[in-house]
Amino acid sequence: MDEALADRIAAYAARRMPEASELRVADLERIFGGASRETYRFALHWREKGGGADASRRLILRRDPPGSLIETDRAVEFGAYRAFHGSAVPVPEVLWLEEDPRWLDHPFFVMEEIPGCEASPPALMAPPYSDHAAELAEQKWTILGEIARADPVALGLDAVMEPVAPEACWRRELDYWVARVDRDELAPQPILRAAIRWLRRAPPPPAQKLSVVHADFRTGNFLVDPDFRIRAILDWEMAHLGDPLEDLAWGINPLWRWAKDERAGGLAPREEAIRLWEGASGLRADPEALRWWEVFSSVKGQAIWISGAREFTMGKNQDLILALSSWLAGNSQDRAVLHDLGKLG
Amino acid sequence: MKPDVPRFLDVAMQHLMLHTGPALPPGYEQSSVSVLAILLAEVKLEFERAAARRVEENAALRALFADAAPEVADPGLRERLAAASRGADASLRVSDLESGNAELRALLVELHGHVEELDTSGARRIEDAIWSELVASTERRRIGIGAF
Repeated sequence: MDEALADRIAAYAARRMPEASELRVADLERIFGGASRETYRFALHWREKGGGADASRRLILRRDPPGSLIETDRAVEFGAYRAFHGSAVPVPEVLWLEEDPRWLDHPFFVMEEIPGCEASPPALMAPPYSDHAAELAEQKWTILGEIARADPVALGLDAVMEPVAPEACWRRELDYWVARVDRDELAPQPILRAAIRWLRRAPPPPAQKLSVVHADFRTGNFLVDPDFRIRAILDWEMAHLGDPLEDLAWGINPLWRWAKDERAGGLAPREEAIRLWEGASGLRADPEALRWWEVFSSVKGQAIWISGAREFTMGKNQDLILALSSWLAGNSQDRAVLHDLGKLG
Repeated sequence: MKPDVPRFLDVAMQHLMLHTGPALPPGYEQSSVSVLAILLAEVKLEFERAAARRVEENAALRALFADAAPEVADPGLRERLAAASRGADASLRVSDLESGNAELRALLVELHGHVEELDTSGARRIEDAIWSELVASTERRRIGIGAF
């Protein structure tokens, strides 16, 4: 355990819990795989006000790394968790957001841990979870439909997420990710560039509504409990307001076919995922519009892998997950573009 | 160089998976060791094919440029394609092959965008040839563990 970091976390918690005493952090452990934030789990122990009873809580710390796959404002991620807590979209309770780097060197936030759950795609593709793939798919795509159906203004998310006109959703997202490619590309990307030209030639219709877009909704970013219930949707760091088809398209991207068959996200056929999403959201997935967003999702994915490769190459962040994701996903993402453009045969 | 590099990488992977990883407590460092072993498997694959796939692709791109140049409307681009089609790899060092490949792939991006704007049967033929080459290029780079 990193004792120095544990002491600093305890010192911060003491500031946020002035009535508690004897605060200490135990079992601090970094969780592997966080490409956009450093993620730690720990137990916070304290004594209640006035020398009262001992108390403890399992918590998660999400801290900005020196460099990451995704550059985002943690206030947006924190705001999304807070907005959906207690709704039909299960999320952990968030406790504290801290942007002052004097506490832990980088901005961070703290939320509850939901213990005893599984998130790893390889684990979810194997028994006993694989025996419950259909019910996991129903929960997964229904929850995504609930995110699409939610009113961002009623949730207060228009205060932390930049509004966009329905007809401008596609351009804002495409311009953002193309700029990332232009900035970070280490080698020419002929397939990616062809996809970008295709997207600009045939833009989609305006969004049928302005929704919260989770923007990384996929198998691997939710927690499944031992009773095969999805207990929490995680990794909201790219959340924004936009076209709800963006989320659906990202979720059914071929890259996430973890079961190595045709099932979207390794859980259900593509058409079933769309049907579930339409039922829960009350929206329609127009096939042509969805195709545009599917191609876009591969452009965005490739932009993320390119940025990760650059971070690793330049030494800004040499977490091995960056090398793995860039090698593994980069080639698969090119193949996904070819698939979505009908070039794979 | 004996033992052969692929054999060494096999042994290194086994060491990481069977000895180093299990000796660590479960958590971030143990997961990092597992990922390192997976990455070494990909290094082994790439070591074996690194020069071959670049030589093959650079030759395919030069042939494509030779075929495409007469169909190109822009004189400057046509000349650069013709010049590139007459080129050769500087050496068989992977870094030289990669550098040459980057130049050729940048020119391919330019050619692809150009022929997309042309309304001729020749342009469509070249466009089809480009897509065939792009499909082949993903196969040359394919790795062993992708979900798709």
